[in-house]
Amino acid sequence: MSVSAHPPSLIASAFLSFRDDIDDHNDRRERLIKCSRDITIASKKVVFLLHRIMTDSGADDRTLSLHAASEGQKALRNVQMLFMKITPEVEGDRFWRYQHNISPGLQEYIEALSFAHYLEHGTLITYNEVQKSLSDESGSPYFPLPMSDYILGLSDLTGELMRFAISSISKRGGRTKASEVSVFVRGCKADFEGLTPHIRDLSKKQAVTSQSLRKIEEAAYAIAVRSSEFDLSPEMLDDVVGQAISGYGENFDDMHTSGRRRPTSDEHEFE
Amino acid sequence: MDPQDLDLINGLLDSDADLRERIKEHVIDFDKRTRTMVGMLNKVHSTASAEIPTLLDSVRPVLHSCQDTTAALAAIIPPNQFWRWKDMWNNSLRASVFSAVLIEFLANGTLLSLASVSEQLGIKEEWSDRFVLSVEDYLHGLISMINELSRLAVNAVTLGDYDAPIRISIFVKELFAGFSMLNLKNDILRRRFDSLKYDIKKIEEVVYDVSLRKLASPPTKPA
Repeated sequence: MSVSAHPPSLIASAFLSFRDDIDDHNDRRERLIKCSRDITIASKKVVFLLHRIMTDSGADDRTLSLHAASEGQKALRNVQMLFMKITPEVEGDRFWRYQHNISPGLQEYIEALSFAHYLEHGTLITYNEVQKSLSDESGSPYFPLPMSDYILGLSDLTGELMRFAISSISKRGGRTKASEVSVFVRGCKADFEGLTPHIRDLSKKQAVTSQSLRKIEEAAYAIAVRSSEFDLSPEMLDDVVGQAISGYGENFDDMHTSGRRRPTSDEHEFE
Repeated sequence: MDPQDLDLINGLLDSDADLRERIKEHVIDFDKRTRTMVGMLNKVHSTASAEIPTLLDSVRPVLHSCQDTTAALAAIIPPNQFWRWKDMWNNSLRASVFSAVLIEFLANGTLLSLASVSEQLGIKEEWSDRFVLSVEDYLHGLISMINELSRLAVNAVTLGDYDAPIRISIFVKELFAGFSMLNLKNDILRRRFDSLKYDIKKIEEVVYDVSLRKLASPPTKPA
């Protein structure tokens, strides 16, 4: 049991190789966290861009939606490039080692992507479509898309849709849109409910979705109650509201054309 | 959501849940084995040094039986998904590393390398994306051993073995020097490493006590 049989250099050299291993792991982790942050920032910008285009006045809704979706997709391609760049870092078994470091950015990206998709198609983007957006030209994925990130990203979409519905509620046709959105969000909430036992943190997000839904419903209620005081068709009401708004004159138009969102009661919701 | 997509999602989630259940069964098994080993090794604190080899011989078969568990886990973990599931068996795996390195130190006074621990646990190279012994887990096992050795230094003296604390002290200091070379981030490993100084202090106190009273045999001259 003599220690001299074991020259110190053996233990020291073992620890030297552990040091390399640990440093390598920590460095890679830091790089991926940074990248995830960049992806988050870029994706949030896309979401703002979509909101901004949708609150533009002038063109009809369908044109706006298509314009927003195409601009959004263009901006999202830069985000997809960021994902492509990390591919070598998350090759093989490494992906799951660093999955929780990437997942904040990934969820934010899915939120932006699904918002653009909703504006274009009025539907929820599918798992396969998201995976395809994170694949190279030949269709091989940059990394396997975790189901949990897909669902959690979609769950964040409901919050954006709420903002979208409320900011467009005073526009022409906005009430119809708000009711479409609430039907859609209700559907999402119901679909996700069954998945909550499987996905960590989903139940928290479901609670947020419920709140969002309530906000849309209350806004729709307020409008319905007020419009009942006038015996006018929805289109005429839109015109009345439109005229009242145009009375604000230049200032308001300036705000609009410079791309600023109209202030709503929900302003504080924007991050 | 399209009912078809929802079915697809549910299918994937269900199969993950299934796999989790199957892994859990093996982990419970693994846990039983490691607890048995740790319990048996606990007897070193009350075993005279002459009896220790017999004790170690009785623990080794349990250690080798862990090979069944690692093989069973490697067989059900899907390719490339090692890191997805490994948290489930962290504790058991670290306890088995602890047992393996402690047995080796008690038997030969040397450090069992990561590769040798892997081998004793039956971990095969071709499993590299499904089941491996990571550096982190190995180091956790080493720290547990150091915790245990500081206790053993005390109890060996009680049992009349005055040389053991000195051997332990040399060994642990060398390991500590190794740990000091690492750049650990603020995680559990770092916190456990920080607490090693208390173990070292304890061992030094024991060494001080036995040397002061000239209980230990005189140091052998270096070759």
